[in-house]
Amino acid sequence: MSVPLTLLGLLEREPSHGYDLKRDYDAFFGRGKPLPFGQVYATLARLARDGKVVIAVEPGDGPERKRYVITETGASEVNAWLVEPLEPEPHLQTVLFAKVVLALMLNRPAEEYLDTQRRAHLARMRELTEVKRGGNLVDALLADHGLFHLEADLRWIDTTVARLDALAKAVAR
Amino acid sequence: MIEARDVKLSFGETPALRGATLAVAEGEILAVMGPSGSGKSTLLHCLAGILVPDAGEVQFAGQRIDTLDEGARSALRRDRFGFVFQFGQLVPELTAVENVALPLLLAGTKRRAAVAEASAWFDRLDLDGLQQRRSGELSGGQAQRVALARGLVSRPKVLFADEPTGSLDSLTGEHVMDLLVSSAREQGTTVVVVTHEARVAAYADREVIVRDGKVTTAVLT
Amino acid sequence: MIGLGLRLAVAGGREAAARLVVVAAAVALGTGLLLATLAGINATKTQNLRYAWLNTGIAEYTTTPRAGVDPAWWLIRGDRFRGQELGRIDVAATGPAAPVPAGIPALPGPGEFYASPALHDLLRTVPADELGDRFPGREVGVIGDAALPSPDSLLVVVGQSPETLATQPFAQQVTAVLTTDPAGCMRCIIGLDNTMFTVSLSVIAAALIFPVLIFIGTATRLSAARREQRFAAMRLVGATPRQITVLATVESTVAAVAGTLLGFGVFFAARPGLAEIPFTGATFFPSDLVLTAVNVAAVAVGIPLGAAVAARLALRRVRISPLGVTRRATPKPPRAWRLIPLVAGVAELAYFVGRRPETTDGQTAAYLIGAVLMLAGLVLAGPWLTMRVARLVADRAQRPAALIAGRRLADDPMAAFRAVSGLVVALFVMTAASGAITSFVAERARPAGDSVAATSLTQAFWPERLAEGAEPPTVADIPAGLSAVPGVQAVLTVRENDRQVAQNMADPSGPGLISCADLARAPGFGSCPPGAQVVSVWQDLIGPRDPGVTPAETIWPASTVTDLDSRRLLSVVVQTDGSDAAKERVRTLLATMDPFGEPPASDAEHQASSTLTLVQFQRLADVVILASLPIAGCSLAVSVIAGLTDRKRPFSVLRLTGVRIRMLRSVVGLETAVPLLVVAAVAIGAGLLAASLFLRAQLDYPLHGLGAGYYAMVGGGLVASLGIIAATLPLLRRITGPETARNE
Ligand SMILES: Nc1ncnc2c1ncn2[C@@H]1O[C@H](COP(=O)(O)OP(=O)(O)O)[C@@H](O)[C@H]1O
Ligand SMILES: [Mg+2]
Repeated sequence: MSVPLTLLGLLEREPSHGYDLKRDYDAFFGRGKPLPFGQVYATLARLARDGKVVIAVEPGDGPERKRYVITETGASEVNAWLVEPLEPEPHLQTVLFAKVVLALMLNRPAEEYLDTQRRAHLARMRELTEVKRGGNLVDALLADHGLFHLEADLRWIDTTVARLDALAKAVAR
Repeated sequence: MIEARDVKLSFGETPALRGATLAVAEGEILAVMGPSGSGKSTLLHCLAGILVPDAGEVQFAGQRIDTLDEGARSALRRDRFGFVFQFGQLVPELTAVENVALPLLLAGTKRRAAVAEASAWFDRLDLDGLQQRRSGELSGGQAQRVALARGLVSRPKVLFADEPTGSLDSLTGEHVMDLLVSSAREQGTTVVVVTHEARVAAYADREVIVRDGKVTTAVLT
Repeated sequence: MIGLGLRLAVAGGREAAARLVVVAAAVALGTGLLLATLAGINATKTQNLRYAWLNTGIAEYTTTPRAGVDPAWWLIRGDRFRGQELGRIDVAATGPAAPVPAGIPALPGPGEFYASPALHDLLRTVPADELGDRFPGREVGVIGDAALPSPDSLLVVVGQSPETLATQPFAQQVTAVLTTDPAGCMRCIIGLDNTMFTVSLSVIAAALIFPVLIFIGTATRLSAARREQRFAAMRLVGATPRQITVLATVESTVAAVAGTLLGFGVFFAARPGLAEIPFTGATFFPSDLVLTAVNVAAVAVGIPLGAAVAARLALRRVRISPLGVTRRATPKPPRAWRLIPLVAGVAELAYFVGRRPETTDGQTAAYLIGAVLMLAGLVLAGPWLTMRVARLVADRAQRPAALIAGRRLADDPMAAFRAVSGLVVALFVMTAASGAITSFVAERARPAGDSVAATSLTQAFWPERLAEGAEPPTVADIPAGLSAVPGVQAVLTVRENDRQVAQNMADPSGPGLISCADLARAPGFGSCPPGAQVVSVWQDLIGPRDPGVTPAETIWPASTVTDLDSRRLLSVVVQTDGSDAAKERVRTLLATMDPFGEPPASDAEHQASSTLTLVQFQRLADVVILASLPIAGCSLAVSVIAGLTDRKRPFSVLRLTGVRIRMLRSVVGLETAVPLLVVAAVAIGAGLLAASLFLRAQLDYPLHGLGAGYYAMVGGGLVASLGIIAATLPLLRRITGPETARNE
């Protein structure tokens, strides 16, 4: 799970306070594992250092005076990340999910991302199938292991595609 | 080899295809995927000249087939295409080997020669010893392999398979797919296989997705 | 549950509806046939009662003197008009209290007569010298229906003076008119043998109903798979086997009730037509074709009840579990032992060739056992034969259609044969009967229309028939105008032969004599041996003939008699051109020579009476063939449909792959036409064999070819059944459309 990119993505929606970011992150991506405040601010600081966000300080005191605003660099990084299919590896759902939700939030073509992902998955499955057909039993079994996991992902992708409309409504604010 | 351009087809009020476009290269093995009811079978039937689209065109080897009459399309299917369906395609009265020989017999081959040629396929498809069984005495996977042999025995240019592994368990299904792909490659047969299973589609060179009667082509790769 | 059953039966979708309609139609057909048979039996009885009074004077009780009754003189004879029998009763009342038959108000007096309606019509349209002159006096009334066996009966009651009739040796004094069933009176000669007609009606009904039953059975199996699936689904949600049985029973009963009602309709619609069939030799009054209350009740209750029982039985064969019908194994192939009864039957019949049993009972037993063995043997051997032929076809087949069809037939020859087994029974019985009858009739030398046997009329004057003390007719009594009647070619006289020559049991040479000079004038009646002056002849110049010898080829034995002209006149033979007008005119004129004797007739007419029943039976046989072939066709059609639904998917897949529908059509065609034609051929062959063996054993006749009529009938019936099968073929196209191949 890529916390920095997710936070960046959330920032692309609109400039936010650290607190808001944590709340949204926990609501959509935390799934019972809330992001500690320390990590939020450490990440944001690192992003600011890399020039991906800038900090707009508001009058008053306390940490809530700082509003974070995404920069050009930050935005293009988010875009590149969304467009780029993930390396088809097992256990991707969380990242994939984060990408889908963000894409929907940002009015990006989530279905296309998923199709691209699907394509990548299938390409990998094809490779594994090739291995399986050509290789020895151990290779074949290993390939099968990968194939079944990829297939599970793919099923999830298909199901998600079928429900994108509903999901878009759920994440809309 | 086969090309569909903006094909539209409705069953009464139900639109099954709403402008599907697709091209299959010679010798290519193409998987057609998509959710159930999306129009995969209908697309396959259009490509194979079983159904005639309401609009759009279908070409085989550079010639339009949607404009041919039923007789010509039947002849085309008989002579150039092979078919494998999900289940229940074997004639129950005939033995396995006779079922395989059927297309040859229909083309006028003498019975002895047709049976001999059909028998050769039993070896290739791990069906040895099952020649004299009736369809009721075969397991699902065996029956599908017999059907595959029947689809390929007359060396078709294109093999159309609609959910060929749909009623098989995954291991058996993969065995059938494995044989399908290797036999097709050996003969240089173009294959269009409809499936909703990714692991089956992974045997193909390429896949397309049918959604709501359209072929989805991803923008990025 | 019953309510649900009713709903499923009536609104169970297209297939259920089709099954309902077919079963109902079959039941209607069966019911109609059954009702027709029952009504036929009733009508035969009624008709027989109407014949009763014609036996007055024969039954003893009508002639015993009775107090207070003036006896009437009564003389009954059989005359003819244009090939039809004409019953003539001469009566004379001796007093006012004479017995009067039903149908006329009183006995006619001298110079009066009563005619039946059919005769009445003839008298008004036919010239008097052909018919009317036979009856002295004037018509005083029409005989009522009560005295008419049939609306077409020709009957006349002629009044005479008591003095005239009293001298006639065959006239009797009667004191009562017979009213009981002639079948119940030992000596009665006119009327029907009730039992025989009941038996043959029942046989015919069975021959018709058997195929109908098979049809019903086949129809019940129509789309049985779908129905069983439905029942299995109901079992899955908790229906008990008992409830399933109730459902199935309700379904069949609904069909049977509808069919039974329809059957009554069929019967009443067909009744006028049925009455027209001269089953007993005479047509029925439509009002005689009635059903008793018991008949109606039995049919109306019995058939639906039978259907319910049949449904229960049918369901017992498949155990419907919640997971569907447990897969039925391929039936065991029939074995060769099935041929044994057939072979035994043929062997039995063949054994009696040249070894005819002595007694009639022995003969009946011998032939009946043989025939029954062959019939049962055919039904038993049918599946085996079907299987052999099917295997042969399948093994030899080069074309896929023949291969598939042959395999299917060989897989379940029982089912294939069942559809046509009724046909086997009908074709065998009818071919054997027709074969025997045709040959019998042919051997009896049914004379050609232009043979003298058909064109010449004979009036014989047997001494024992002459009135006491009356002068026998002489040559001088021959009516003057006889030779002048248009169409008369020769008038020949035959004199009486010596009794001992005429009645020599070992070698009867005929009761008459004729001079060779006379005989030479009419070569149609044979010739004299060289040098003979006079020959011994039969009174009609034809006599009993050897088979295959025409009257013209007869060479009569020479006689030594020389006093020909002084001998008593035995008969007058008139050769005509064969036209109806000439014959009837001659008949009318000749009868005046002996007004109370046996009316003149031709040899052909005498024989027609004896073969009439046989010919009628043959006609009935034709009706049976004609009816049972289409019924068998229907059974086949239904099994075609069943076979198609069984293979819906593979067939539609084949069609998708580009197989021509023509090929599927030939599969279906072969699957039905092969059993139909094979079985028809075998049944016809067996029937002819049985007929030929019977003829050789019993009568030493060879088998004659069957008439064109028979072949036309069988051919027509086969064409009709093939037509019915062909009518199901459009279904093939519909059933195997591409949508069937969809992965359901
Ligand atoms: N013969 C038919 N009549 C009516 N509708 C049909 C027929 N065949 C297919 N359809 C409809 O067309 C759509 C596409 O069907 P199909 O091509 O079989 O889908 P798939 O094979 O992808 O599951 C579905 O909505 C289906 O209900
Ligand atoms: Mg489909």
